[in-house]
Amino acid sequence: MAIACVLVPRFALIAACGERRDLLGFPVALAPDAGRTQLLGQVSGAAEAQGVREGMRLGEALSRCPDLNLIPPDPGRTAGMWESTLRALENVGAEVESDRGGEAFFAAHELRALHGGLAGTLTAARRAISVPIRIAAAPTRFAAFLAASGFGPRESRHRVREQGPGAPRPAVSATPGAAVPGASRPAVVISPAELHQFLTPIPITTLAPRLDLQSGAALRLTRTLERLGISCLGELAQLPTHAVADRLGPIGLRAQRLCLGRDEPLRPRARHEDLSAGLELPDSASGPQLQRALEILIGRVLADPRRRDRTLRSLSVSARLASGGSWRGGRVTLRTPSASPKLILITTAPRLEALPEPAISLHLTALEMGPREGDQLELSRRPEEVRHQRLGEAVRQTRAAAGPESLLRVIEIDPDSRIPERREMLTPFPDS
Amino acid sequence: MSTASRRNGPGRRRPGQSGPRPLYTPRRTNVGVGENGRPALLAGVRVESIREEWLVEDRWWTASPVRRRYFELVLSNGRNAVVFHSGIDGEWYGQRA
Repeated sequence: MAIACVLVPRFALIAACGERRDLLGFPVALAPDAGRTQLLGQVSGAAEAQGVREGMRLGEALSRCPDLNLIPPDPGRTAGMWESTLRALENVGAEVESDRGGEAFFAAHELRALHGGLAGTLTAARRAISVPIRIAAAPTRFAAFLAASGFGPRESRHRVREQGPGAPRPAVSATPGAAVPGASRPAVVISPAELHQFLTPIPITTLAPRLDLQSGAALRLTRTLERLGISCLGELAQLPTHAVADRLGPIGLRAQRLCLGRDEPLRPRARHEDLSAGLELPDSASGPQLQRALEILIGRVLADPRRRDRTLRSLSVSARLASGGSWRGGRVTLRTPSASPKLILITTAPRLEALPEPAISLHLTALEMGPREGDQLELSRRPEEVRHQRLGEAVRQTRAAAGPESLLRVIEIDPDSRIPERREMLTPFPDS
Repeated sequence: MSTASRRNGPGRRRPGQSGPRPLYTPRRTNVGVGENGRPALLAGVRVESIREEWLVEDRWWTASPVRRRYFELVLSNGRNAVVFHSGIDGEWYGQRA
């Protein structure tokens, strides 16, 4: 089994720089999120050279590097660019797992026959992605990540000879020195026989980001291990399992399994169509105006013919902020797949409360579809449901006969506006 | 103001444009002006009286500011109408307000 890991170092920073990729050659960092702890996001190589690190307090970073430029984070663009990257990987046949931007895994052994071996698979993956990447394959997800990150003694790694247009190329950008350091390296393959030897000397601190993303439990674990004198993965692997369970609990056992070269199976994401709608807001909007805009977007997504009567299972709300940058409200998953605008609004609207500042545009994306509306189980049919269904059918027939814009409904946007054309809008009437 | 927006008027929808669109968009109208720059004729119909007059200045902080002098008219044929004079392009528009 070979799990491939695709890494794009500093992906969020690259995305936030957008067209100004030359900025990466200077000391730049992602600014802290508005309203949160003043901790830096990803930093450029030039900033790292001056002692600035990701997660450092802003004040300390500025005292170390007074020339540090701060770039507002752009989670919307980051997610969009990463989505295109994942789709490019899926287009070479990979079933991709990705929990965060800049990092993807897929089962490379399943594609050997398609691309002529492991080297061919890695080359195809590299060729599919437009930005410089690091790529590695190993028997487990954790080992593949470490190999792609550049860990391990170099002599123990087997470098795959890649050829053709997809072979690694130097990381280049508009200006010399703006390259993402080490972004493009030859693919590394760790064989099952080499796995133990590869993992043994790697520092224990590498476990923390792989164990959890949110809480500090993993960080506490690695600190505890260091205090106990366990500094590398091999030392943790040698400890008796019952002692690890006793002293460190479930997270310790999980860490030990990773050190022993045992990992959970990949959970590839379900492929989906890009069903989304966006709305430019007339002014920097907030509060009830945003909810109205969301209502319009839900109507538009539900009226999209590509939905083909399927229900929606999960969605995401995002916005471009008035001060620059963007915001993402995370994934909203419905308890049961639905095509009811009211239910979708009730579920998604609370996310808008987390918007840190006024927005200039709002976007809604359907991430996952459910079964067709007709396929859903029904326990009972109330008279109003029957009427609603008939109405939906009438809407569909009218649209089919007189065009998609033959039925529209009026939605209040800003009822108190002094400019009449900004008070209400016409929007497609939902199918049901 | 560009030729296109002059032809279409503020907030008018372009042909073929899809998706949500505003209601009550202003339409260019033919207004004959009397004394003090107030409307005397609307599309050839005499203005009997002006019921109300108000000024809207908004969005001055944006690239497309709004400066309108509104009139609610009673016409000689008994109809009520609302028109405004745009301080941006100098044209007259009718609007349901």
